[in-house]
Amino acid sequence: MGRYIVKRVLQFIPVFLGVTLILFLMENVVPGDPIKLIAGEKKLDPQTEINLRIKYHLIESDSNGKPIYDENGNTIETPMWERYVDYVGGLLHGDLGYSYQQNGKPVADILAEKYPYTIKLAVVAIILEAIIGIGAGMISAIKRYSFWDILVTLITSINVSIPAFWLGMLLQLFFGIVLKNATGGAFYLPISGAGGPTAEFDDWVYYILPAVTLSAVSCAYVARIMRSQLLEVLGQDYIRTARAKGLSKHDVIVHHALKNALIPVVTYIGMDFGGMLAGAILTETVFNWPGVGYETYRAITKRDWPIVLGSVTVIVVVVMVINLIVDISYAYLDPRIRYGSPKEQG
Amino acid sequence: MAKKKIFNEKPVGVETPEQARANAPKEGSEVETTAPVRTLWSDAWRRLRRNKLAIISVIWIAIVVLIALTADLWVPAKLGGPTQQLYDARLPMSWEHPFGTDQVGRDVLSRVIYGSRISLAVGVMATAISTVIGLIMGALAAYYGGLWDTIIMRLADIFLAFPYILFVIVMLAVMGSGIQNVFIAIGVLGWPSIARVFRSAILSVKSNDYIDAARSMGASDFRIITRHIFPNSVASIVVYATMNIGGAILTEASLSFLGMGVVPPDPSWGILIEDGQKYLATNPWLMIMPGLAIISTVLAFTLLGDGLRDALDVKMKDA
Repeated sequence: MGRYIVKRVLQFIPVFLGVTLILFLMENVVPGDPIKLIAGEKKLDPQTEINLRIKYHLIESDSNGKPIYDENGNTIETPMWERYVDYVGGLLHGDLGYSYQQNGKPVADILAEKYPYTIKLAVVAIILEAIIGIGAGMISAIKRYSFWDILVTLITSINVSIPAFWLGMLLQLFFGIVLKNATGGAFYLPISGAGGPTAEFDDWVYYILPAVTLSAVSCAYVARIMRSQLLEVLGQDYIRTARAKGLSKHDVIVHHALKNALIPVVTYIGMDFGGMLAGAILTETVFNWPGVGYETYRAITKRDWPIVLGSVTVIVVVVMVINLIVDISYAYLDPRIRYGSPKEQG
Repeated sequence: MAKKKIFNEKPVGVETPEQARANAPKEGSEVETTAPVRTLWSDAWRRLRRNKLAIISVIWIAIVVLIALTADLWVPAKLGGPTQQLYDARLPMSWEHPFGTDQVGRDVLSRVIYGSRISLAVGVMATAISTVIGLIMGALAAYYGGLWDTIIMRLADIFLAFPYILFVIVMLAVMGSGIQNVFIAIGVLGWPSIARVFRSAILSVKSNDYIDAARSMGASDFRIITRHIFPNSVASIVVYATMNIGGAILTEASLSFLGMGVVPPDPSWGILIEDGQKYLATNPWLMIMPGLAIISTVLAFTLLGDGLRDALDVKMKDA
């Protein structure tokens, strides 16, 4: 197990370098001078411009932060590979660079501001997903071919075909507009933002619609996996033995079947949590949720590359770490699984 | 192992040309008359026909394709015609405009119909690109193994480590929007999953005796892959590609909704939803109708994929 973890952590390195390199190259393929993106239409005086170029590692500077000049008295442009090395070096020290806009604020600070919202939303959505998904899957499997089974199968099939942003808008329409008009403004849910001290509702109310939207598709997958797993487990010999011993159906399901059926479900939910921490770009955009996904999207549309690079790199690392944790816990939950066999490689 | 039985055709590389010529005339006259020819595809079709949902899906997909292809012949408001009439803006549903009109007076039904062209084109083209790249990568990785396998699968890991939608958006931000770039971005980024599916399919076929037999007869690698391995792993690819079309349509809708995909005034379903979002409170049908078009089409591809999986799955053949 120890060797497996070390191997997996070592595998992070090429993935990490590959991801940052691809992003870095993408940024540099886009035409346009970063200084133009920073200053906009404003004309900068030469000294400010040189200082900015040093701040963003665009020209060579000495250890005191003074520019280095060539024999003609011009500043020297830093070669791209050197900027990449600088960038990765900075990343390893927690320095994600500075935003082109937002007054040159450090990217790390911006992300630290946005992440709590994304994490809180993800936690709420995961809880919903686990409760509804597992519950629906269990009903579906235990009462196989019943009305409820067909209903769950139907809803899950439709759910995985719905664009999440469209579902979010439908919820906004129904709970924010139709319900408000129908009750004369007495009852409705907020459809935008994450609350705050001056907000109309308590903060938790703002989580309802985004969390439902975010968990809807995953709920369907959880229910499907739960159903097929439970059906498979219920068909096995030890379940028949337990029934033959005289245990009630309820006892068999709760004490024998559920534990084994849940393992792949828990794995899926874990992976999904990683995905949600990556920022639900569409859900956050529809609901104006001040999280990482929305911030990244905003940065992409405004060509604020340091934020894009920084947030995607952080997201990739977070997803990899969570996937590793999920894989390790998988082995603990299911002692039959042994990592490190040749088959697992690749 | 059961896979071998499905194929009625003789394994090509196993016999010498002389034997093949000697065997050929006999087949039709004496040996094969006892039972009708059963191939993988005729078996699969027989099983698929029993699956009502899959058949409904096929019919729906056929209708959508037909609508997309023939739209110019009968659509109420043709693309590029004098359609913008501001005094007709945001009309409710009526016989003349079954889905109402949008903010500049264009007939929404016509735009949803034209949207089907873009969505289907993106679904099919993106899937074709992913499949071709995925097949080549998967074949190289599985067949040659070793260093090839390590490099290609690590590359796949890198691609899969990106949150998919974010990666597509970043790529489009670099390349610029537009329908061709949408094909490329969704297509290029979709290869790792197909490569994995094909790789594991090859690995399960590769160790069979008839592959060794073919090689001992002197068949080239290319011939073994295309004539022996590919036909035996094509089922999983067909299933995966079918489902992938639905996924690509969803991705395109998300991209266009975010303003990173197809460029207006081209009517993609995602763009129609985005247009409609501004009038959610007053004209909800503007976003509901294109949404229903997306759901029904994606659902059809998903259900057809499910049906094909059941119909083609070798393990379930006799169940």
